[in-house]
Amino acid sequence: MSAPTVKYHCPCGNADNVRTPPPPHLPSSAYSFHDLHELFFCEECDAVRCNRCVSVEVSGYYCPNCLFEVPSASVRAEKNRCARSCFMCPNCLNTLQLVSSDPPDPGDGRLSIPVGTVGESPFFLYCNHCRWDSTDVNITFEKATGLAAQLQKFEDAAPDTLEFDRLKEYFEPVLRASGATSSAVPSSAANSHHLHSTSITAAASAALARDIPGVSKYNPLGRSTRGKDKSSKKDDVPEYKTRLDVSTAYAAGGEQDVEFMRHLEEDRDVATLEQRWGASWASPVQASELRPLRVPLHSKRSKRCPQCTHILIKPEQKAQTVRYKIKLLAVNYLPNISLSLPHRQTAPPTDRRSLTKSTTGEDDDEANKAMQAGLTYPFHIAIKNPMYDPIQIRLSPQRMHVPQVTSDKEKGRRPPFAISLPTTSFQVAAFADEWGYDDEEDDELDYLDDDDIGHRPKKEREKPKAKTVGVLEKKGNVTVIGGEVVLGKEARGNVKFNMLVKYQYKLPEDQGDSPSKKPVVKDFEFYTVVDLGPVVAKEERRIDDF
Amino acid sequence: MDLNDDTPVYYSKAEFIETDTGNKVSRRATIAGPQNIILGGKTIIVSQAIIRGDLRRSGAGHTVVISLGRYCLVQEYCVLRPPYKTYRGQFNYYPMKIGNCVHIGANSIVEAASVGDHVQIGKNCVIGKFAIIKDCAKIADGTIIPPNTVVPAMAEFEGSPGRFVRDLPESRSEIVESFTKKYYSRFQMLEPARR
Ligand SMILES: [Zn+2]
Ligand SMILES: [Zn+2]
Ligand SMILES: [Zn+2]
Ligand SMILES: [Zn+2]
Repeated sequence: MSAPTVKYHCPCGNADNVRTPPPPHLPSSAYSFHDLHELFFCEECDAVRCNRCVSVEVSGYYCPNCLFEVPSASVRAEKNRCARSCFMCPNCLNTLQLVSSDPPDPGDGRLSIPVGTVGESPFFLYCNHCRWDSTDVNITFEKATGLAAQLQKFEDAAPDTLEFDRLKEYFEPVLRASGATSSAVPSSAANSHHLHSTSITAAASAALARDIPGVSKYNPLGRSTRGKDKSSKKDDVPEYKTRLDVSTAYAAGGEQDVEFMRHLEEDRDVATLEQRWGASWASPVQASELRPLRVPLHSKRSKRCPQCTHILIKPEQKAQTVRYKIKLLAVNYLPNISLSLPHRQTAPPTDRRSLTKSTTGEDDDEANKAMQAGLTYPFHIAIKNPMYDPIQIRLSPQRMHVPQVTSDKEKGRRPPFAISLPTTSFQVAAFADEWGYDDEEDDELDYLDDDDIGHRPKKEREKPKAKTVGVLEKKGNVTVIGGEVVLGKEARGNVKFNMLVKYQYKLPEDQGDSPSKKPVVKDFEFYTVVDLGPVVAKEERRIDDF
Repeated sequence: MDLNDDTPVYYSKAEFIETDTGNKVSRRATIAGPQNIILGGKTIIVSQAIIRGDLRRSGAGHTVVISLGRYCLVQEYCVLRPPYKTYRGQFNYYPMKIGNCVHIGANSIVEAASVGDHVQIGKNCVIGKFAIIKDCAKIADGTIIPPNTVVPAMAEFEGSPGRFVRDLPESRSEIVESFTKKYYSRFQMLEPARR
C-alpha cells in the first residue's frame, strides 16, 4: 500500500511503565504499530489489543478442501490431517482429484480433465495442475469414498509411524509427571502450550544428552547451569530404545542415494525441501517416490484479552460462516483516521485514452508524486467517529528525535522536517445510523462536497484554500483537518512521525454511576504513526521529469 | 485495497450504459447472451471485459448462466466463462454464481462454479473450472487456482498452483464491503469536454 498511511499503536510491546511507542525511524516501530482493521478493543480494560498480545484458542477444526468440520476429539488420532478423501499432490502441493479408470472421452477435440467419482475402479489420485498421478507410486483405490481409510493400513504400518507412536508412549509418563508440577500455573492458551513444549524439550534433550555424548555440551535451556543439574534431570527419564536401527530401517539411503545422485540428469528428479518438508523424517530423496499426504486441517480461533481474559473474538461454530458471536474490533471504538495529500490527487483526464487507463488505474508515476526537499506541503487528516457519542479530539505530533549517532558534524542538526497541526481540540460528531451502514442510498464513505459528485473537475477544489492548518470540513461523523509539513533541504526518506490522539466523550447520564446525575466524561488516548511518503532531492526530481 | 483512497475513477458518459438498478456496463465490453446474465445492481463491467452468458446448458427454456451480486467490479480484459464438463458422456456447461461485493482484477479469467460474498480476485489470475471460492477469501495477483480447487472462507491464496498463505483479519467482510461501496461512488461520470 502506498503512502500516506496511519498505523495504530498497541502498547503490549512496551515495558510496563512506558506509554510512548518507539520513534518511527527505529525498526522496532514496525512491530508496535498495526492497521486499525487488525486491532481489537477490550471494553473491560478500555484498551487496544493486537494479534501479538491476545491469547488464542482453537474453537474448531475443519478441512480446507472438503470443508468437513472435524470434532476436536478425533483431531489428534487423525494426526491433524483430513481423514476423509483429501490429499495434496506430492509434486506441486495442489489438492488431488479422484478419477476413475473410465475410458477417455470419445475424441471431440476438447481437453478433457477427468472429473467425477462415478465410473470404474480402480480409482486413482490425479493432479490437474502438474498431472502427477498416484499410479506412479502404486496407489489405487477400490472404492471412491473414504480414501484416507483405505490408505490407513499403509500409514499405520509405516516404520516412522510406529516409531513415533513408540516415542509418544515413552514420553507420556514424563509429560504426566511434569504436567502435575506445572498445572498450578494459570494458563492462557499460549502459556500452556509453552509449558507443554518446554517439558517435552527438557525431556528430549536430557535423553539426547545421554545417548549422544557430544550433545550434552549444547544445552539451550541453560548453558550456565551445566553441571548443576547433571544428575537430577537425566535420571528421571528412562532409556529409549528405538524400534528399528535407523541404518537398516530403510531399503534406500546411503549407497543407494549416492548411486542415484551419480546418475542424476535433471535436478527436478531430486525432491525439493518444500516437497519433503511436510513429510516425516523418512521422506525419499527421489521426487518420483514422493507419496501424497493428507491435507492438513485448519482451525477457527477465539481470541481473549491477555489481561482480563474476556473474549474479544468468538466465531460462530460453522466452519465456513464468516459471522462472529463476539467481535470487538478497535475500528468500532477508536476514531478512524485517514490521510490524503492534496498535491498527489490527479486531475480528471481530458482525453479518451487516458480515461480508459484511469479505470485500471493505480500505476501512477510514484516518483512524480514524491515530495521535494525544501518545500512545504499541506496534508489532510479525516477523522471518522464510530461511536454514538460526539468526541472532542486533539492531535499532537511527537517531536522528531534526530538520531545523534554519527560524527560531531551531525550533532545539533535540525530535524529534517517539521509538522504543523491545529493546536486546539475540535469536535467530531457522533455516528448516527442515518449516516450509513444501511445498504441503500447513499453510503457512509462519501464525505466529499456535493460539487465533487460528478460534474465539477477536481482542479477547482485544489486551489489553495486560505486556511491550510485547521478544521477544513465537517460532514456527518467525519471532520477533516488540515496540517502542513515543512521539509528541510536535507530531508530524505519517508516523512514519518508519531502522533498522539487524545479525546474526550461524555457518557449518557443513565450509564454513569454518579449520583449527581452529571454526565461522566471519559478520556482516552492512543498513539499512531503517520507516514506521509517519500521525499526526493530536487535534482532527483528533475531527472525523473525528463 | 486502499480504504482511504478518495480519488475518483472517471468514465465517459458515452461509453457506459447505466441500468435502473445502477449497474454500469461499458459498451466496449462483450456481453454475450445477456438474457442469461444477472447483475445484482451497482455492479460495474468495464471496457474489454468478456462475459459469456451464451455458453448455456443444453435444453430448452430460460436459464441463468452467470449471476453477479451487488457492488461487483469486473475489470478490463477479464473473461467470465461458465465451467463445463462431460458427465456420463454428456457435455454440458454449468452455471457460475458470484456473490456481492466481489472485485475481479484486470486480465483475470474466471471459470469458477461459485464465488462467495466479499471476495477479492487480483489481476492476472486464472480461476479454474468448478473452483469454489468461499466468502471473504482473497486471491492474490497472478495466482493460478487449478480446476476443482476449494478456497475456504477468510483465506488468502497465492501462487501457481494457488495455495493458502494466510488467514485474513476478522474485519475482512466490513473492509471489503466499505471498499466496494466506496469504489462504486468513486466511479464517476465525466461529461464530454466542450469544444
Ligand atoms: Zn498488542
Ligand atoms: Zn478433507
Ligand atoms: Zn501437482
Ligand atoms: Zn481486557
